[in-house]
Amino acid sequence: MGKDEEIKGEPFFPNHVLKEIIIFLFILGLIITLATFIPAPMGSKADPFSTPEHIKPEWYFLAGYQLLKLAEKLDFLGAWAPKLIGVLGQGFIVAIIFFLPFIDRGSERYPHKRPIVTTLGILGVVSFIILTVWGHYS
Amino acid sequence: MHKEEKELRKKDIEKRTLFRELFDIFSLTGFLYGPLDERLKFRDALEKQLKKTTPHYRFFIERNFLACLGGITFVLFLIQVATGVLLLMYYRPTIAEAYNSIVEITNNIHFGWLVRGMHHWAANVMIITVILHMTRVFFVGAYKPPRDFNWLTGMTLLLLTFTFGFSGYLLPWSQISYWATTVGTDSIGAVPFIGETLRYFVRGGPQVSQLALTRFFALHVVILPGVALFCLGLHFLMIRRQGISEPL
Repeated sequence: MGKDEEIKGEPFFPNHVLKEIIIFLFILGLIITLATFIPAPMGSKADPFSTPEHIKPEWYFLAGYQLLKLAEKLDFLGAWAPKLIGVLGQGFIVAIIFFLPFIDRGSERYPHKRPIVTTLGILGVVSFIILTVWGHYS
Repeated sequence: MHKEEKELRKKDIEKRTLFRELFDIFSLTGFLYGPLDERLKFRDALEKQLKKTTPHYRFFIERNFLACLGGITFVLFLIQVATGVLLLMYYRPTIAEAYNSIVEITNNIHFGWLVRGMHHWAANVMIITVILHMTRVFFVGAYKPPRDFNWLTGMTLLLLTFTFGFSGYLLPWSQISYWATTVGTDSIGAVPFIGETLRYFVRGGPQVSQLALTRFFALHVVILPGVALFCLGLHFLMIRRQGISEPL
């Protein structure tokens, strides 16, 4: 049994803990370096009476923001369509990802042995990146 | 005879592990050792936890980066708690004073710029690491049973991280945070039937104003951290119980 464990994995202590401490210090160094050389942005004070020209969310909401803008093209269905489809569509995508293990029930773990899920995953990642970049420049 | 000798040597090695040495140093304080340890068996519990193994990964990038993304995210969460508590000491959550207090933190308070900068950057890096962590778990199929329920706590933590970002964005009460929140909360109104009510509830009124700031502040510093700590507890408990999924 002892021999088996040696082959199977590394001990949590001290091997893994030591690695974690090194990573912790590396991350702390990275964050302090970023905070020092690229300070957090400081705009002007909020003024509810003057709307700025371009209102954009933080970068991680840009994909969703761009999807909402794309949904505006659906206005030929009626005035109700763009917002409802844009918001509910995103809610639907999040719900699918949320309950993924209960939709994809197979026990196969290798990515190339479950081509549908892997393809959908790659498509998802690529479209998230494209929408984010597009949202940034639109 | 030979077997006995081996057993003895094994016990001797166990006695001299670094862990025991370290534990003995801490025991000297008297908190864990003696009567308290006798009743609650701290040493046994801790040793059982620390003796668990982590999988052996074949590839350098997997061993030192991909498999560490969850741990890195947790480290960033700890940085957020520490810097967030420090910011809380000087931040004033009113529409008249919020912006001024942020300027004061950045320009006048000792190392205020650093603490605020770290909070800003750790938040952004954390978003990247949670997304990468989820992507990795997705592609190696680590969400498959018996770990399907841990995917749920993980997804909840991901959504919590996004909500942290959204609520924290309003707090400096700058032009960009005010208008991004106005537009962001506006899309809640598109939800059928309850949309208008929901938007009113989130903003605390028809427009983003003092009540919205108070609500986002409460959400950001009390409600979300509490929920996140609970989910983190569940997430880690399940990992400890089920073990880390074997590398492919």
